[in-house]
Amino acid sequence: MTIQELYTKIGGNYDQAVRVMKKDKLIDKYVRKLKNSNVGDMLAEAGETMDAVKLFESAHAMKGVCSNLGLEGLANAADEITEEYRAGNPRTLSDDAVKEKLAALLRRYRQTVQCITEYEESN
Amino acid sequence: MIKSKQLKKPQLVLIVDDQEINRDVLGMILEDYYDIIYASNGREALQMIEEYRDKLSVVLLDLIMPEMDGFKVLDCVRNDELLKSIPIIVLTAERNAELRALEMGAADFITKPFDMHEIILARVERIIELSEGRQLIQAAEHDPLTGLYTRNFFFEYANRIYRYQQGWHMDAVVLNIDHFHSVNALNGREFGDRVLGIIGDGIRAFLADSNGIASRFEGDRFAILCEPQTDYQALLDKIQTRVNEASHIAGIRLRMGVAPWREGVDPVTLFDRARAACGMVRGNYKSHLMIYDEEMYRRELLNQRLVNDLVRAVEERELKVFYQPKYNVQCDPPRLSSAEALIRWNHPELGLVSPGTFIPLFESNGQISTVDHYVWNEAARQIAEWREKFGVTLPVSVNLSRVDVFDPSLEERLESLVERYGLDHKALKLEVTESAYTENAEQMIELINRLRGRGFEIEMDDFGSGYSSLNMLSSMPIDVLKMDMKFVRNIVQSEKDFRLVGVVLDIARYLKVPVVAEGVETEEQLNMLKEAGCDLIQGYYFSRPVPPEEFEPLIVREKQIEREKQA
Repeated sequence: MTIQELYTKIGGNYDQAVRVMKKDKLIDKYVRKLKNSNVGDMLAEAGETMDAVKLFESAHAMKGVCSNLGLEGLANAADEITEEYRAGNPRTLSDDAVKEKLAALLRRYRQTVQCITEYEESN
Repeated sequence: MIKSKQLKKPQLVLIVDDQEINRDVLGMILEDYYDIIYASNGREALQMIEEYRDKLSVVLLDLIMPEMDGFKVLDCVRNDELLKSIPIIVLTAERNAELRALEMGAADFITKPFDMHEIILARVERIIELSEGRQLIQAAEHDPLTGLYTRNFFFEYANRIYRYQQGWHMDAVVLNIDHFHSVNALNGREFGDRVLGIIGDGIRAFLADSNGIASRFEGDRFAILCEPQTDYQALLDKIQTRVNEASHIAGIRLRMGVAPWREGVDPVTLFDRARAACGMVRGNYKSHLMIYDEEMYRRELLNQRLVNDLVRAVEERELKVFYQPKYNVQCDPPRLSSAEALIRWNHPELGLVSPGTFIPLFESNGQISTVDHYVWNEAARQIAEWREKFGVTLPVSVNLSRVDVFDPSLEERLESLVERYGLDHKALKLEVTESAYTENAEQMIELINRLRGRGFEIEMDDFGSGYSSLNMLSSMPIDVLKMDMKFVRNIVQSEKDFRLVGVVLDIARYLKVPVVAEGVETEEQLNMLKEAGCDLIQGYYFSRPVPPEEFEPLIVREKQIEREKQA
């Protein structure tokens, strides 16, 4: 599997990743790092306690990392939760709705990680 | 020439982000241009900022982080005197956060994702440039030793006050240490620097309660522009007390000159006046404070006028050369031996200006060489004219000022004069003061040797007023020794003074040169000097300095004596 094929498979924006990292070699390096990063675990933990600060920080972290990697779907979903819990913003979603969005986000994140594992194994 | 770009210090960038991927991506963008270090949270960032505070060029700071967020880091850095000059660029994707961060003192922001590399690089470069520029300005603004403004910044701010705060009437104060170079030489530079720091502290303490600004110009020269004080002596005493208390060395003496505010007088002029006032109490052990007053102002105006008018005075021949005879008193009757050329200024509006007024002025600003060249030429022309008219060459001595010694064309100038008027070199005698000899002994001796080699004769003027050692005297090439007139003044009343004259004459005998006694006014003085063995006499006893037409009868009389002697 090529890096471009991986991006197609996970619904990422390869062109955006190139804008940030310039070279396939670097995109490859940082996509692999995403698999080992703690952003998913942090967000899952925050979801278990529904701690507003932790939810905000972990969603914000995922948003930042994913936007740099061109994983726009994940970044946008993380942004929704970030804004929901940003200090000063009015809450627009119920906790249940947040849990649903969070579950969907984590599902998508795990799928992405799974695809990255397949990509690693194919190379 | 080394360009300032080549003198850039190594630039270190701290990237702070809790996500390794974000840190790495940003590091990858910057690594070709900067040295990079990383921190993964606010607490670690603060530790690294403190550790690398002297090396850090900029911090790139994520705002949302666990443990300690970027806002807290910003807050800590901005409230720390040692850290607050380090620029911080925040990393964010939120507009609200950007604004808040900028309000908290962030220098700029970089938005996520990091997809605009050129913009990121440009922002980092610009902020580092701005910060380094500001640091350079801060370094140039303050004297590191005292914390006071440096001279250029002081005058910039003083001029702003003068131009834009016209209601503020501020006095100029200059503060010096008497013989500071000796303090440094005796106690070491470090001690001298400590004294300067103490004076700086004293001035800052004064300005804490009084409106004003202050500077250390250079060395021990301090300047204060402050609201008028009722008691400057009290200010001087306060600073003096600080110096005395902090120093185990007795006798470090401050002196102060004050120029009170005056309508329309700019700061540079005002401080020139304060400096002049301060200079007037140099070495004065009774008074250490001088306020610039109307008399000094009048003198300043007169000096300025004389400086401005000198060129015209030369062109319009307002400068007149007078001649005072020197008589050989070891003959009977005394014989006219030579003359000294002395300058007078007949100013069209000020009348006769005393040489005592304009010569020290022109000596201080270097214009004395203009006067000297004029006198040399006039004297040489006059020698030739008298030779033509009376058939005798009467040698005339002219002054060689300190600045002339440094004139590389001096020898050619004098040589061309004697050539132009067809004179023997010995006809134009050169007078050099003893103090000029002792100030630049080596250079002076070389020059005098060259001039004597060409045939000029040298008279050492004002001997006894300087500090020649006997050892130096023996190596000084001179042909005549002119005794300072202070020796002669009291020889009749004071036996001690007369004995001193004897000492000078002994020295002259040792050097095998004749002595001229200046300032001889009475027959009694003349007889005493003659009996003591003095060869030549100059003074009012024979004649005051007179214009050439009044001098001529003396030559006529001398010729008469010569004729009678031959008959």
